[in-house]
Amino acid sequence: MSDLDRQIEQLKKCEPLKESEVKALCLKAMEILVEESNVQRVDAPVTICGDIHGQFYDMKELFKVGGDCPKTNYLFLGDFVDRGFYSVETFLLLLALKVRYPDRITLIRGNHESRQITQVYGFYDECLRKYGSVNVWRYCTDIFDYLSLSALIENKIFSVHGGLSPAISTLDQIRTIDRKQEVPHDGAMCDLLWSDPEDIVDGWGLSPRGAGFLFGGSVVTTFNHANNIDYICRAHQLVMEGYKWMFNHQIVTVWSAPNYCYRCGNVAAILELDENLNKQFRVFDAAPQESRAAPAKKPAPDYFL
Amino acid sequence: MEVEADEKELKAAGAEPLPDSRQGLRIHGWEIESRKRSILTSSNFLLWEEKLQTSHLPEMVFGESCLVLKHLNSGIKIHFNAFDALTGWKQEALPPVEVPAAAKWKFRSKPSQEVILDYDYTFTTPYCGSETIEIDTEERGRGEISQEACSLHWEDCEEQIDVVSLASKEPILFYDEVVLYEDELADNGVSLLTVKVRVMPSCWFLLLRFWLRVDGVLMRLRDTRMHCIFGVNANPVILRESCWREATFEALSAKGYPSDSAAYSDPSIISERLPIVMHKTQKLKVPGNL
Repeated sequence: MSDLDRQIEQLKKCEPLKESEVKALCLKAMEILVEESNVQRVDAPVTICGDIHGQFYDMKELFKVGGDCPKTNYLFLGDFVDRGFYSVETFLLLLALKVRYPDRITLIRGNHESRQITQVYGFYDECLRKYGSVNVWRYCTDIFDYLSLSALIENKIFSVHGGLSPAISTLDQIRTIDRKQEVPHDGAMCDLLWSDPEDIVDGWGLSPRGAGFLFGGSVVTTFNHANNIDYICRAHQLVMEGYKWMFNHQIVTVWSAPNYCYRCGNVAAILELDENLNKQFRVFDAAPQESRAAPAKKPAPDYFL
Repeated sequence: MEVEADEKELKAAGAEPLPDSRQGLRIHGWEIESRKRSILTSSNFLLWEEKLQTSHLPEMVFGESCLVLKHLNSGIKIHFNAFDALTGWKQEALPPVEVPAAAKWKFRSKPSQEVILDYDYTFTTPYCGSETIEIDTEERGRGEISQEACSLHWEDCEEQIDVVSLASKEPILFYDEVVLYEDELADNGVSLLTVKVRVMPSCWFLLLRFWLRVDGVLMRLRDTRMHCIFGVNANPVILRESCWREATFEALSAKGYPSDSAAYSDPSIISERLPIVMHKTQKLKVPGNL
């Protein structure tokens, strides 16, 4: 058994790697990811997965439902880390699979794959707690800069973490972005990872926060037509039922973190496409309580004032 | 073993757990119950948007979760739910808060036909609980419950919640925390409304907390505390204290406090740093008291 296979087995048990192993793994991953396009080509059949957010035991449920990699070909739409308890193990397992089977798993970048966001929402603290230093966080966030921004399945299905950008009307415009950087606060790369479809606008909308685009149905129609694609598949937003179509089946949101934050009670979904691009959503629940090392459901009484 | 000890404690305090795996207890004429359910389904979400006449709700609305405290003899019912809280948000309708990136965005080239949304995405609410009088008319054979919402009201008072007695380590017979709604502000912070309750042999105490952090901009804490000491009166005495605090990150850093969001994940630790903008204590007036 090679070192890498042994590491994958170890990560599957939710045991993190040694710091030196993480460093070596990230170096190998970098060599593979640097070759990928901003619009990475993916062949069918493929199974598309949305946000995971460090919910390691729920990701194991996902693999039970969808089949193991490399037998199943996977596309993950980002947001591997933050919020859940096992961001380290979750991301490293996906990364190890990527290095071991580069043509059977595609990882694209979510808005949480960023230095700034992970310092606020959990991944930074988790690395510090599990390793006693921030080195592992550094190796991982350096790798985030190499992750592709989107994927194109059989030239027909465009996949991205967030959504569209008013600065982008063709896929070729995405191909010209220099992605090897921290996610910027504005511009096309930022929009692809952050924007949301919105029912109540038809064209473009600006969030009341003053930053963040919303796009309506006509924007999606124009984009899909100009790029000759059937529909867009994205993640980024929690959906109680695991997936949600909008704008007359022109865009679908896929969400793969069941019982999000261990309290929402939502189901999760993955989208299986066969070699003819026939769709099947597979809906699944969170891992049962006893199979995970999560905190007890009942809060400990405290003498709050 | 633990369960037996709990039961002993309950018995000694004259309390009993609620039947049918409901969460809560009966004690001194009160029935206190918490319900924790999933977030709203997409179809119920749409229904709520319609009822509240809004096109936006928090990402996670725990619409069927609640905390209910019912005084069986007087019919007083104090309860906490997301719907009433969001009704309060809709009415207060604060202007939106710009995030730091907004400054840069002003210089971006605008797409044609851009619509700027302007609802209060922080879901700030003045909500401090709901109260009704429910008189069970079952003995009259109709099995109906009549509600007289307007007959209860809160009146400002000089009395204060006795924090010293609450600090004593009486055994906690029942404790729970219920999240009513939560939004991640699209990863620009947190907006969270929760209610915590603890019931001891001598009293119950609860804290309803609205907590908002817009990263790099501001923090807002709106706390409502309620305290009821079990007594012999037909009508219970309930005190309610509201304390609102608010500070910008700028003001905090001027005072020498850290200005990174990671330092402000737990409001109970940092609340003292936020200046008070509103404080009042009130007492529940029951019509029978008149």
